[in-house]
Amino acid sequence: MRFSFARWRATAAPWALLRTFVIFVYAFSLGPILITAAVSFNGSNRSFFPPRGFSFRWWERALAPEWLDPLLFSLKLGALAAVASTLLALPLAFALHRYRFRGQQALLALTLGPLMMPTLVTGVGLLQLFQSLGWREYLGFTGLLIGHVVICMPFAVRTVSVSLHTVPPNVELAAASLGATGFATLRHVVFPLIKTGVIAGAVFAFIHSFTDVNLSIFLARPGQTPVTVKILGFLEFGFAPTLAAVSVITLLLPLVLVAVVERISGLGDFIYGEGRRG
Amino acid sequence: MSEPHLGPQATRPWILIIVPAAVLLAFFVLPNALLLSASFLKSEAQQLTSQPTLDNYRFLFTRPLYVELFIRTFAVGVSVATLDVLLGYPLAYFLVRTRSRWKGLLIALSLAPLLASVVVRTYGWYIILNRFGFANDVLLGLGMIDERIAFMPSTGAIIVGLAHALLPYAVLTIMGSVNGINPHFESAAMSLGANRTRTFLHVVLPLSVPGIAGAFLIVFSIAISAYATPAILGGPATQVAATAIYNFIIQLLDWSLGAALAVILIVASLLLLYAAGRLGARRAA
Repeated sequence: MRFSFARWRATAAPWALLRTFVIFVYAFSLGPILITAAVSFNGSNRSFFPPRGFSFRWWERALAPEWLDPLLFSLKLGALAAVASTLLALPLAFALHRYRFRGQQALLALTLGPLMMPTLVTGVGLLQLFQSLGWREYLGFTGLLIGHVVICMPFAVRTVSVSLHTVPPNVELAAASLGATGFATLRHVVFPLIKTGVIAGAVFAFIHSFTDVNLSIFLARPGQTPVTVKILGFLEFGFAPTLAAVSVITLLLPLVLVAVVERISGLGDFIYGEGRRG
Repeated sequence: MSEPHLGPQATRPWILIIVPAAVLLAFFVLPNALLLSASFLKSEAQQLTSQPTLDNYRFLFTRPLYVELFIRTFAVGVSVATLDVLLGYPLAYFLVRTRSRWKGLLIALSLAPLLASVVVRTYGWYIILNRFGFANDVLLGLGMIDERIAFMPSTGAIIVGLAHALLPYAVLTIMGSVNGINPHFESAAMSLGANRTRTFLHVVLPLSVPGIAGAFLIVFSIAISAYATPAILGGPATQVAATAIYNFIIQLLDWSLGAALAVILIVASLLLLYAAGRLGARRAA
């Protein structure tokens, strides 16, 4: 008897049940985000859902300097953290991939450390370091940038490592045997092959920085606050629909970024490839 | 590959490593070492002294308030991890096995919440759960309740919010594991006469145990150190480890107790992740 998995799936009642359950899970997962988006168009002063009336005034307020400034602050912080952590991750990932040396396991553990450690704890530690060194004036942008580079680095290192594994080992030997120097090989042979991975790493790093709260609550200071921390602060007082509009903007920015990069360099395969690693 | 570079070039990795390693040592290892040392020092008048002591840990492990805090944090972690495995497993299985034309889009949609900050994702739950929120409106409208209920602040609200925020991690981890199960195993079991339920229970489920356990432990470890969701959906009566650390450090300026609590959290997280890693290693073997 020939068994067809496709036919089993199409006819089986359990599969229909599974589909129903999956629809429920999607509703659970996306519902609150869609509700937030709907609330931002409220005509009312409160965050009613379903929205009562319709207006754009919360969006106008969300784009006023009070919220635009922290938003731009987060963008600047995320962009710099992404570039810096990727630049640091490149040589690190390359060395870990290419050479065998003493202390390599320790270095690998050190590299992935910020991913394993609760981010909140890294934030507390950095705050303590800054205070004990008398660097209080560096809290705010500088402190946040240092912290974000540290917590974003593992993402960049991991993504670059994954793409280094896809480079056939012989291409470097081929380049060398044709007379290319070590640096020329890297620049003209290896780097073009891992470019997508490097961009993906930078995008992951940016998103990790842009959405972070746990580290930033310890290192921010008034006037130099990422937008997530500012939203969190406001959530304690009131829930005007302005926050809903700001929230939607902070969701859309990474979404647009991922969509654009995906168009240019096929990021999607990369995310799925990461997913397969678990 | 490494052979051609032994010899005169063996110093080369160090040139590549030195700057990133220095950054990590200065801004990751050193702060954590400081924190560890602070947890064994006495605080007086909101200042760390240099007197070594174990009192911080003794205090946290004996005061009913903090014992309760550990139990609550642990319970939140277990509940969130259980919920996410129960919700994430069917979704992950579906995403791996579906032949839908929309497969790519469906996978993207299931991971899209990761692009939003936890603050943003939790805000939606505030709109639903607050006293004048959507859930109350619906229940009142259906006549199931007579007066408005405070769904939040509560531990239950924290659990729902965190389960929502961390679901993509469970889905990603389980998808990785289900992806490794050969669909022919299922066909084989069924052609040998097992029905669908038996096939799932005796073939698919046992093979995905490492993925389930990995997802459980990873979600658990993130949940016990989450700050934003408990801060928004919880209150003073439903403190968890992360919100308590924030209060110690920022409000009470008690570095000793804050550091001790942070160290306890680190140890718990690392143990969970170590266990998850061991399971992964066994799967690979």
